[in-house]
Amino acid sequence: MFNLDYSWLADPVYQGWLIRGTLTTIELAFASSAISFVIGLFGALALTLRIAWLDAFIELFVEVFRNTPPLLQMLFFYFTLSTIGLRVTDPATGVSVPLLSAFACALISLSLFGGALCIEAFRSGLDSLPRAVTEAARSLGYSRWQRFRRIEAPIASRICLPALTNIMTNQFKTTSQASVITVPELMYYAGQIYNDTFRTAEVMILVLFIYVSLVSLLSWGMVRIERALAFPGYGRAH
Amino acid sequence: MNRSDVLIELDQVNKSFGAFQVLKGISLSVKDGEAVCIIGPSGSGKSTILRCINGLIPIDSGSIRVGTHAVHKMKTEKEMRPLRHQVSMVFQQYNLFPHRTALQNVMMAPIQVLGHDPKEVEVRARRLLAKVRLSEKADSYPGQLSGGQQQRVAIARALAMEPQVILFDEVTAALDPETVKEVLTAIRELVDEGLTCILVTHEMKFAREVADRVCFTDHGRIVESGPPAQIFDAPQDPRTREFLGQVL
Repeated sequence: MFNLDYSWLADPVYQGWLIRGTLTTIELAFASSAISFVIGLFGALALTLRIAWLDAFIELFVEVFRNTPPLLQMLFFYFTLSTIGLRVTDPATGVSVPLLSAFACALISLSLFGGALCIEAFRSGLDSLPRAVTEAARSLGYSRWQRFRRIEAPIASRICLPALTNIMTNQFKTTSQASVITVPELMYYAGQIYNDTFRTAEVMILVLFIYVSLVSLLSWGMVRIERALAFPGYGRAH
Repeated sequence: MNRSDVLIELDQVNKSFGAFQVLKGISLSVKDGEAVCIIGPSGSGKSTILRCINGLIPIDSGSIRVGTHAVHKMKTEKEMRPLRHQVSMVFQQYNLFPHRTALQNVMMAPIQVLGHDPKEVEVRARRLLAKVRLSEKADSYPGQLSGGQQQRVAIARALAMEPQVILFDEVTAALDPETVKEVLTAIRELVDEGLTCILVTHEMKFAREVADRVCFTDHGRIVESGPPAQIFDAPQDPRTREFLGQVL
C-alpha cells in the first residue's frame, strides 16, 4: 500500500543535514534543560526567602512563561530582541546583524519556559520536605545557604526527579519549534529535505523514529539516575 | 548555688504564638554537669523551652544565657552558630537526614559546619556509633533503621558536635516500648559521664532515676521544681499532685 522510497538517504548531503540537525537538536535540548534546572533551583530557593517583591516577581515570571505557547515565546524573542536594538555591526562586512543568533534566541526562550516549569517542580519538592529535617539542620548550626545546598536541595531534587524527567522530555520535543525561527535543527533540515525530494512521508517517518529513539534514551537515562540517587524510605528504592 | 557554675540561665522568658501565650515568665538555671528533667502535661510549653534555649524559636521578652552567649540578643543564624556548637538537640521524631547513611549523618555537621578534619571526624563518628552500639549499622540509611536505632544515631550526631549541653525533646515518645530502653540506656550513660542535659520526658521512672532536678510545668509556668524525691514523693503544689496522680 505504501510505496516508500528511501533512495535519497544515500545522498551524503542529506545524511550530513540529518546528522547536523540531530546534533543541534540534542545541543539545544541539553543546554536549555541545564539552564532551566539552574533557574528552577535558584527560583525555588528565592521563594523560600519569603521576600514579598521577589515572590511577586517570580510568580509573574512563572505565570507568563508557563501559560503562553513556547512557539510564541520563541517568535517574540527572535523578532523583539533584534528590533529593540540588540544588533552589532559585523567588522568584516560592515553589515548590521542581530547580536543574538536564531539558536541563541531559541535557547533563551526554551530555557525560560523550562525554567518556569522547573521552579514549580523544585518548589513542590521543597514544600514536601519534612519540617523536622530543616529544624535539625538549623539546630546543628547550618547557615541558610548550607542548609539548602547540603540538605534541602539534595532531598528535594530526588523527590521532584520524576517531574524533572517530564519537563526534560517535553523540552526535547519542543526544540522542534525552533525550526520556525530558522534554527537548523532536525525539523528544519527535515523540511529542507522533503522540499527537495517531495518524499514527505518517508522523511517524517524517519524523523519520528529519530525523536522516539532519542527521547526514549533520555528517559531511560533519567530513570537510571533516579535509581542511582534513590535512598531507602523515599520513592521505590530497595 | 555558685553563680560561676551556672551554664544555662533563663530569666522571666515570655513567648506567644499569636494570641496564645506558651511561656509565662519561665526562669530556670542549670549548672554545668547537671541533668534536669522537665515534666508536665502536653501543651504546657516544655518543648518550647528547649527550642528557645538553642535559639530555634525567638523569645518575646526576658533573657536566656548559655555560657557566654546571650541567646535573646542573637538575631541571625550566623550569630547563633557558636551557640549551636555548644548546644545540641535530639528530637522526638529523630530528624535524621534521609539521604545520608548513619555514619554520614554523624559526620556531616562537624565537617560542613565546624570545618573539622574529615579523617578525624570519621574516627570520632565511628567511636560514637560504637558508644550507642550501632557500629554495624554505620552504612545503613535512616529508612533502613528502626525508630530506636534512628534515635541512637541522632544522639551520636548530637554528640559529634562535642557540645556542652544536649537538649532531649521527648526522645522516646515515638518509640515502641521495647526500644525505649535502649535509648534511655544511651542517655543515662551521658548523664553519668557528667554531660549537662535538659530532658523533656514522659518517662517518669527514668526522670526519677536520672535527674538531679525535676521541673513540673503547667500552662507555661514552672509550677514546682526540686530533687526527684521531693517532686515525686512529696509534691507541694496541687497541680503537680494531680498530674502525677494521672501518670504514675
